[in-house]
Amino acid sequence: MKLSKFTWLFGAVFIIGLIVIPILVFFPGKEKSISADPWKNVPLKIPHIEHSAIIQGPFETGSDVTRACLECHEEAAQEVMGTVHWTWESQPYNLEGRDSAVTVGKKNSINNFCIGIQGNWPGCTSCHAGYGWEDANFDFSQEELVDCLVCHDNTGTYVKGYAGLPVESVDLEEIAKSVALPTRENCGSCHFKGGGGNAVKHGDLDETLYFPPSNVDIHMGEHDFLCTDCHQTENHNIMGRSISVSLDDANQVYCTDCHKEDLHEDDRINGHVDSVACQSCHIPNAATRDATKMYWDWSTAGSDEIEESLHTYLKIKGSFVYEDNFTPIYLWYNGGVAERYIYGDVIDPEEIVHINYPAGAIKDSTAKIFPFKIHLAKQPYDTVNNILLQPKTVGEGGFWTEFDWDLALQLGSDIVGLNYIGEYDFAETDMYWPTTHMVKAANEALTCDQCHGSEGRMDWEALGYYGDPIEWGGRYQSNSYQP
Amino acid sequence: MGNRAPRLNRISKIFVSTGISLLVIAGAALATANVVSARTPAEKKEQASPLHPSFPFLDEDGMNVLETGNPVSTMNTCGSCHDSAFIAEHSFHVSVGLNDLSSPGKTVTERPWDISPGFFGTWNPLEYRYLSPQGDKKVDLTTPDWIQLYGLRHVGGGPAMYARDGQLLMDLKYSSTSLETNIVNPETGKLERWDWQESGVVEMNCFLCHTPNPNNDSRANALQNGDFKWANAATLVGSDIISVTGDSYTWNPDAFGDNNEIQPDVLQIQDPTNNNCGSCHGLVHDNIEDPLISLGCTPERWSTITTGQIISSQKMADSGMNLANKDELDRSWDVHAERLLNCVDCHYSINNPLFYQESEESKPDHLIFDPRRVEIGEYLEKPLHQFARGNSAQSQVAPELNDTMRTCESCHTVDSTHEWLPYLDSHLEALTCESCHIPRLYSSGNMVHDWTVLLPGDLPRRECRGAEGDVDSMGALLTGFEPVLIPSPDADGDMRLAPHNLITTWFWIYGDPPRPVLFTDLQAVFFEEGDYHPGIVLRFDDNNDGELSADELVINTDAKEDFVRDRLSLLGLSNPRITGEIQPYSINHDVASADWALEDCTACHGEESRITQSIKLAAVRPGNAQPEFVLGTERDLSGNLTTDENGALYYNPASDIENLYVFGHNKLGWLDWIGLGLFGAVVLGVVTHGGLRFYFASRQKTAEIKTEKIYMYGAYERMWHWLQTGVIILLLLTGLVIHRPDTFGFMDFRNMVLVHNIVATILAVNAILALFYHLASGEIQQYIPHPKGFFDQIFSQAIYYLKGMFKGEHHPFEKTPEKKLNPLQQVTYFGLLNVLLPLQGITGILMWGVQRWPSLAARLGGLPVLAPVHTIVAWLFASFIVLHVYLTTTGHTVVSNLEAMITGWEDTPS
Repeated sequence: MKLSKFTWLFGAVFIIGLIVIPILVFFPGKEKSISADPWKNVPLKIPHIEHSAIIQGPFETGSDVTRACLECHEEAAQEVMGTVHWTWESQPYNLEGRDSAVTVGKKNSINNFCIGIQGNWPGCTSCHAGYGWEDANFDFSQEELVDCLVCHDNTGTYVKGYAGLPVESVDLEEIAKSVALPTRENCGSCHFKGGGGNAVKHGDLDETLYFPPSNVDIHMGEHDFLCTDCHQTENHNIMGRSISVSLDDANQVYCTDCHKEDLHEDDRINGHVDSVACQSCHIPNAATRDATKMYWDWSTAGSDEIEESLHTYLKIKGSFVYEDNFTPIYLWYNGGVAERYIYGDVIDPEEIVHINYPAGAIKDSTAKIFPFKIHLAKQPYDTVNNILLQPKTVGEGGFWTEFDWDLALQLGSDIVGLNYIGEYDFAETDMYWPTTHMVKAANEALTCDQCHGSEGRMDWEALGYYGDPIEWGGRYQSNSYQP
Repeated sequence: MGNRAPRLNRISKIFVSTGISLLVIAGAALATANVVSARTPAEKKEQASPLHPSFPFLDEDGMNVLETGNPVSTMNTCGSCHDSAFIAEHSFHVSVGLNDLSSPGKTVTERPWDISPGFFGTWNPLEYRYLSPQGDKKVDLTTPDWIQLYGLRHVGGGPAMYARDGQLLMDLKYSSTSLETNIVNPETGKLERWDWQESGVVEMNCFLCHTPNPNNDSRANALQNGDFKWANAATLVGSDIISVTGDSYTWNPDAFGDNNEIQPDVLQIQDPTNNNCGSCHGLVHDNIEDPLISLGCTPERWSTITTGQIISSQKMADSGMNLANKDELDRSWDVHAERLLNCVDCHYSINNPLFYQESEESKPDHLIFDPRRVEIGEYLEKPLHQFARGNSAQSQVAPELNDTMRTCESCHTVDSTHEWLPYLDSHLEALTCESCHIPRLYSSGNMVHDWTVLLPGDLPRRECRGAEGDVDSMGALLTGFEPVLIPSPDADGDMRLAPHNLITTWFWIYGDPPRPVLFTDLQAVFFEEGDYHPGIVLRFDDNNDGELSADELVINTDAKEDFVRDRLSLLGLSNPRITGEIQPYSINHDVASADWALEDCTACHGEESRITQSIKLAAVRPGNAQPEFVLGTERDLSGNLTTDENGALYYNPASDIENLYVFGHNKLGWLDWIGLGLFGAVVLGVVTHGGLRFYFASRQKTAEIKTEKIYMYGAYERMWHWLQTGVIILLLLTGLVIHRPDTFGFMDFRNMVLVHNIVATILAVNAILALFYHLASGEIQQYIPHPKGFFDQIFSQAIYYLKGMFKGEHHPFEKTPEKKLNPLQQVTYFGLLNVLLPLQGITGILMWGVQRWPSLAARLGGLPVLAPVHTIVAWLFASFIVLHVYLTTTGHTVVSNLEAMITGWEDTPS
């Protein structure tokens, strides 16, 4: 038997295998991999095709630009028109306790800031992703009314005004040539200014997020995220939901889209994730830098006696209280809505009216403890029918010009279709805003004693616990609350 | 007039509008405030007992204080429900040594002036003042002095109530020489009568630990004023219950309910909080919002002064302190505080039915948990105020309670969290958890209290650990320090390494039996009418600027020492001399979680090991005194003290701690030198021999020899051989890294240990299989020399290697498959495979098995014997390999042997 000259190589490999394999088998893996790579889910930033050579002006109107866009992006307008950025209205939804499905959205809902857009369109719709929504007759089927530029302008000079039309001074051609993927400025120009000014509405979205330091937002500060890195978009459908204008939790963005739930090295902290939302610890305080509106009293509006100041009183709007860096309120929240005020609902003026109220309870295993900003207001209601009213504020006969509540409410009610008898007063309402932006890194997250113990911020009994779960046990423990 | 009206009008308008807007804002604020308060959690609850009823404050006669205006008697007040006499009798916090008085010098410390093992009678060199033994001519503190000075850290009762013979202090008969019925006049140093009837005594102070905000300052005031009977009531000053103007205390009837009883909402009775304990024991910070501040090296409270321990849940990075690398200190001061544990969770009352656990020793084998325990009600009546505790070096009182506390292992599992740590049991046998989990104190601690000089303000000269710059100011940079590891007894009596701080005290003593120089005498030596004595200035003013700076106020020359000594002698003190003592302070708090624990193997397994890391004791030795360790600490302080070239004193822990062999750190240097020498000699020999062979071979024509290929080594033999080769080389390499991790810092110590163990197992299996093969096949005979002519054969083989080989002679013994080894090889391999290999295997297995069968290894001398044997055999192996490889080149051709071992076929002369 003549063996090949290299047969011994097999022997060598065999022996090396005998040594190496046991080492590999018994070698402990690297420390338990604590998280899958969170970057995996972050979209690659692919350079956008330079449009300056493609786009040919001149453009007289925004719709001219849209028509130019549609020449190539034929589906784009239809895609946008299927989203709430266009419709400002949700799909019909069967809300518990109501006979028929309802739709909500900016288009037809009440809030406790400027109250409602109906009759006030030209001012409110300056943030609509379309052109010319100035009254109830706006044609939602016109493709060329879609505003491409508000999201795709990359010059930072595009400004919308009356009814969402571009203001006079903008150079449509230059802007059209600049189009690219949305930047922080595109989203921020509307979303950071919800409620009519910087930081007014949300408490977790404001202009500090244009260039945030790491300790304001770890993702956008430290890691240079864009809005669309989390609010990922397919065919113009942008992920994200908030219970101020939505009823369901579909299309929601979750921390766990990128991060593993049990990524903490400490088992005790990982033990929290079944009952505590990431946001509760990683957003210790809301409105970190810029104060947000916490209280709005419409009843003092119209007075010449009170000194005007942007953050305390305006004649057209009434009195305000702003707060920054405040401790949020913590509630059980499963992503859904438990209550939503719809025009015509009868209120009890003695009680605070919930414009919206998050769904969830200690016994709901899908609910977690979640931080909220609560916006409290006093807003007009019909004292006979006990229904909330929506005044006409903008334009002819509107409160902001006439300062006549009765007139404004009458005009508003006619447009909305409410039965206003002519007697009004102001009812207390509140609105719940989930706090989910301005996320802090681990070293700035809450520590145990900030929730537990004698100085903790949680009202455990209000949350449904027998007492502080650090002593009484969590909601699934035998000595604690048992669903 | 006409002009004024509109102006007035305007002014009034402004008033009205501002008024309205203020109202509106106020209204809005109110509205939000309502909302805010509706959602903020209820008032801070501390640990209030929800069931504690209202109760009357009773005086010493059992009358309501509202009626008598007398001081409150806690013994009567709390005693109406709780058995306060029982509590006071069973509390070392109360007795502080009074029950264990002995004659001077007969305590565990053997200090000639100590009279008890407790706070009352054991000298505290940091405070300096001491309770004088009865009979001393010069008296520092009498009992009333002691209460005035040290009472602020004593809970009352015990020595503040009872005389040393057990009588009530109030009942003592006056004696002009008694140290219990007199007080020292600070001006004259003479004893003066103390009127116990007027001062009253200090009862055990329940308020101090069981109310949320006890006023210790006010209490200390009452004590210092000699107003002992009001001290406990003074604890409540600041609440609505009592007010004080000058020396007179007034109860406020409004704070009491209709029934003249104090209401729960006015005085909250609670379990002791960390703050209660901290007010005497150490710096506690439990305010989430306020940044913790502790200035430079002047930490506030006791344990913090002595060790730097701070009990706070706050992250260091969030504190207000000037910490080095503060941004990176993303950890709390104490992980247990962070996780909301309270002091009493571990230091519980030892009959607390909730916490009580029977000791392993007394528990019968069949029980895990004994549910029979004191009923809650019974406990509330008679709660033992003996608190579970560990065994700290600085505390000698109530030794029977040592190690009654939960240990780390009572709450924590070690196995599941330390999977990464090889030899877990061995580590735990040698180390306390604290050794790795308190790797560093991040704040400052005291290092030296030098009472041989007095600084302005009657302070000693101090040296600090863990602070740089102006250590008494906010500007000091707190660098922290690494504690020294000292063998300390654990609950089982075994000695394990545990972190400590060492504080050195320097002081003058005089006479025989010696006593510390009285504080007043020190003052007299250094000061004259409020200024430094001119003679002191003259001797101490090193730079002759007429001022004494802090640097100059140290006895670092004979002139200074002599002058102070002379002045002490002038005061009538005989033989004044400087001495020093070193007190170890145990460090058990400020525990770090896993992330911040010591995890780097080479921190201990290396030349510069934490195990023997020295600790600085003092920058100077005043009067060149040699300090001694305080006795009775139960610590193994057998290391040595050294002084460096600058005169600084260091403690170097003993390098060979009994039964402790730290791989990579402990090694016998000479053994390595022998091993290396042997290895070197072999290499040298081989090179020389090879060189000679080459030289002769080049001068000689070798005749062409016919060869034939013979199948010399079977496949299994070859596999066995090469596997063994690879494994032994790996073992030598990894072993070298384990032995000298410093030299191979780039290799990971932990992984090397693991690879070494795995590979050793392969070697063992390979060896056993090979033994079986050789026995079964009879190949074993190859290794067994035939006695006949054996030595002659050895000689002829040796002569061949030394001589014949160079002449081109043939091998004296033909290599055949049946007889592959020449006699010399037979001897060598026999020794190698039957002596060295098993010896290495057995020592190796025992070393690995130290944690599994420690007694077996111990019987053979433990690691200190096994490890060096293993080391020297390793050197022998290394040397053998060199020789062996060289000899393979002596076949028919240089590579023919090698080829044979690879392919099995060897060219041999036919």
